[in-house]
This record gives sequence, C-alpha cells and structure tokens, in this order.
Amino acid sequence: MRGPGVARGVGWRCIEVAAELLAPLDREVVLGDLAEVDRGAWRALEDVLGLAARRQLTHWRNWQPWAASFGLALPASLFLMGCSVAVSGAVVRLLEEPVQPYLLWVCLSNISLLISWAWIAGFVVGAVSRNTLWASLLACCVPCLHCLSLWPGHGLSSLRLLIFVLPGLWGVWRGQRELPLGRRRAAFLAVMAALTPLMWSKGGWMYGSGLLWPGWYLAATARRKQE
Amino acid sequence: MLGEFEYLILSAAAHLGEKAYGAAMREVIETTGGRACSLGALYTTLDRLEAKGLVETWISAPTPQRGGRARRMVRVTGEGALAAREFYEAVVRISRGTVWAESRRSRLAGDTA
Repeated sequence: MRGPGVARGVGWRCIEVAAELLAPLDREVVLGDLAEVDRGAWRALEDVLGLAARRQLTHWRNWQPWAASFGLALPASLFLMGCSVAVSGAVVRLLEEPVQPYLLWVCLSNISLLISWAWIAGFVVGAVSRNTLWASLLACCVPCLHCLSLWPGHGLSSLRLLIFVLPGLWGVWRGQRELPLGRRRAAFLAVMAALTPLMWSKGGWMYGSGLLWPGWYLAATARRKQE
Repeated sequence: MLGEFEYLILSAAAHLGEKAYGAAMREVIETTGGRACSLGALYTTLDRLEAKGLVETWISAPTPQRGGRARRMVRVTGEGALAAREFYEAVVRISRGTVWAESRRSRLAGDTA
C-alpha cells in the first residue's frame, strides 16, 4: 500500500468519470481502493471499466433487459410512431374540416390512447430495466432515427413521428423511481393499453395486440404493491 | 464446490481477518497467491460468495488515506470456512501421488533435514 498517489491529475479525473458507470456504492468502494493503492492510471481505469462491464453482463443474464429492450422498446417505438402519425392526421383533419362531433371524438380518443400507451411503455421499460436503460433507449432510438431518415417531410413535419416521446420519457422517469401506482389507475391504463391497437384501422391492431403485456404488467405489479 | 478464484478470495479474507477489504485482499491474492486480480473479478466474485452465504460484507466508515471513501469489509462465515476446508482437502487428496505434490514433499523434507 503506497498511499493516495494516483488520486490526482488528469488520469484520476478520467477514472472518476468512468466510475460514473458504476452504482454509487460500488463507485465509493472502488475509488477508495484505487486511491489507497497506486497502480497507475491505466490499470485503475481498466479496473473501473472491467467492473462496469462485469456488472452489465450480470444484468443481462436476467430476462428483464431483453424483454425491455427487444420485447418492448424496439417494437413499441415502431408502433408508437404509427400511432403518432395517426394522431397528427386526426388533428390535421379536425383543423381542416368543419368541426364534427365524430371527428372531435376520434381526435381526442386517439390523443389520450397515444399518451396513455406511450406512458405505460415508458413506465414498464423504466421499471423493468433500471440498470440497462441505455440499451432500451438505444433500441427505441434506432428505429426512430431510421424512420426519420426516410420521412418525406422536413423540419416540424418530421416531429409528427415523435409525438409519443414526451409521455414515454415521463413514464420512464416514473418507472425508474418505483413510484407506486394505485390499482385503479393501473387498471384504467391497462384498459387503455388494450384499446390502443384499435387506433390502427388496417390490420395494425394485430401487431399492436402483441404489445399488450406492458398494460397487464402494470396491473399485476400495482396489485402486488398494494398487498 | 468452490471455484479456484472463490477459494483464493476466501483464503485472503481469512488471512486478513478483521482487516479484510477489497484493496487488501487483492494485494494478498497478487503477492501471496501469485496471480493477477482485477477489482472487477474480485467484487463480482465477492457478490457471488455473499449470495451463497459464504461471506458477509458491510461498508465501513470513510478513511482519510482513501480520500474520505468507505471500504467494503469482508468476513468469512462458518459456511464459508467449511466450503474452503472441503475445497482444500479435495485438492490435497487429489494431488497425492502426483509428480508436483511428491517433489514438493521431498523439497520440504530436504529443508527440514
């Protein structure tokens, strides 16, 4: 043990930045170990990154990160982009045509279904993959960027694809913090999730019904919390 | 049955007793055990041993020589000591009669003579 030799300079700053990849308790302990024994900045950096990689691998041995990123974030982003286009279409129709109760109803119900489902999907992704959120966000961003690159419009028009992003991020924030959800609210959201595929009139509901599980997950976990 | 690295960690913790924590255990494994030990391998193996009930760990108070950071202290449990003894005895039993065990024995006998 040679005392806190490594714990200064640019190298140590890099190690501290890399240690942000670790959980707070791991960070505290590992930085303390590295400060106590001077083995050089490279070896210390290797230690921190090695531990972060091993921790990630441990998370990926469970089903949750896979379900959250490939079972939900990836297909949900495609589905929600379709829903966003449907909602923006309904709004445009409402603005361009004389107000009819039916159009107003379609528009409002589509907006509430989109917001609910995006929130539910975000909540479940946040709750299920707390430690691997980066992978779920990546799985959501890749199809979004791909669709944006193919979208014929420019500027604000391309935002029509991404209406779901804000309620989705709100759900992620809430899911990550494990804020309890009342049983009634969870049941209401589960029903909304079940209705969302109806937004697609031309067969999209078949695809959307494969994404019903977040609603039921929400209902099931809310019940467990109340018990 | 323990793995080889698990056994090294249990032995290092037992050697250090009350002073067993990450950096000290790594030092013992590298200097006495003669094998490289990354903090990643050390802490993930410690997690596994703790999950099996073979060690107990807790966070100590922060110390100045660590820049005011805490230590993750380690203690071998009774179950851990038993598992380490079983591993050690199995290695000794299986090594009897092998070239490397016999040459070590004759070397030790030469030293005492």
